[in-house]
Amino acid sequence: MSALIEARGLRKRYRNTVALDGISFKVEPGRIVGLIGPNGAGKTTALKAVLGLTDFDGDLSVLGLDPRTQRDRLMQQVSFIADVAVLPRWLRVGDAVDFVGGVHPRFNRARCEQFLARTKLQSRMKVRELSKGMIVQLHLALVMAIDARLLVLDEPTLGLDILYRKQFYQSLLEDYFDAEKTILVTTHQVEEVEHILTDLMFIRDGRIVLDASMDAIGERYAEVLVNADRAEAARALKPLDERQVFGKSIFLFDGVDHAQLEALGEIRRPAIVDLFVATMKGTYA
Amino acid sequence: MTVTWNDSVPIYRQLRERVVAMILDGALQEGDPLPSVRQVAADFQINPLTVSKAYQELVDEHLVEKRRGLGMYVVDGAREALLKSERERFLREEWPPLFARLKRMGLDLKILLREAEKLEESSR
Repeated sequence: MSALIEARGLRKRYRNTVALDGISFKVEPGRIVGLIGPNGAGKTTALKAVLGLTDFDGDLSVLGLDPRTQRDRLMQQVSFIADVAVLPRWLRVGDAVDFVGGVHPRFNRARCEQFLARTKLQSRMKVRELSKGMIVQLHLALVMAIDARLLVLDEPTLGLDILYRKQFYQSLLEDYFDAEKTILVTTHQVEEVEHILTDLMFIRDGRIVLDASMDAIGERYAEVLVNADRAEAARALKPLDERQVFGKSIFLFDGVDHAQLEALGEIRRPAIVDLFVATMKGTYA
Repeated sequence: MTVTWNDSVPIYRQLRERVVAMILDGALQEGDPLPSVRQVAADFQINPLTVSKAYQELVDEHLVEKRRGLGMYVVDGAREALLKSERERFLREEWPPLFARLKRMGLDLKILLREAEKLEESSR
């Protein structure tokens, strides 16, 4: 099967800044892809392009459709949760369900009600009365009841407490995600999606600076805990990054043979956070 | 559920070890179903592919089998096979350094045997 999303040379410029500087990437079906980057790197612009919410230069195909000209058809197969939960404050929970049921051909009302029954949300409640966490629960219930092929999440757990955050991804994995579906997520809470992702993209200053499957990242990058006496030997292998912990040095290597690194010390898989920090060095400088 | 994974071993290997431990200590009996891939993925907040990979290893080792449309089941004889390989592994990998340590400390096997009998006695 061909790629679900295929972008070539996407460009987007706002008045004084370049948001997307000719990015190209592919997303295959059945994957959970994390798009990670500092504030202002172009994440949200990239998602907006995919959703047909902004115009841009370059080639973009989402489910074989052009989001600029075929947005109606695209929206039948794509769901979206934004970082700003944009439900009108006067809307009742029941109205929201009625509305989506009325406009979306692939919405399963019974399924939505089943999800809502597991929360404290009541049909009569107005969005105004809901906490941020409850609004996200409502949003999630609406979205998970839509049989879409692509789900786009823009900072979905921003501002939620730990309980809601855990529940959010747990629900997605338990009741929504399967091999036919694809999720594209941006988040700053990298730790909470670390093991959920199948693929990782780093974006910086409108460019993709890393694009690989998590398996490939595990093979390509390695973190090695090195004693002081071997630090020079480690530096000779040109590490991406070095930091000190308890008199030992932790080196991050890119593409150095693991057998060669084993002689230096204990090898670990780098956390996404550490990979991110090393890759983004100098971003705000 | 929050699980701390060890960064030096791939998660699918650690998951496999967990299932093996469950079979060894009887939490999973022969003929029991393994929890579904979806359930494990949701509980541990890990990708379903990671879970599938761990289960596939167990299938390759003939410890569990896939029953079409039903899921994964612990095969008959899995526990015995695991015990056998665990015993072999202990004798091969853990016993030699342990034995060397006992010798260094001057603990001879007769003393250990006597202590073992005492333990058996008190646990009865």
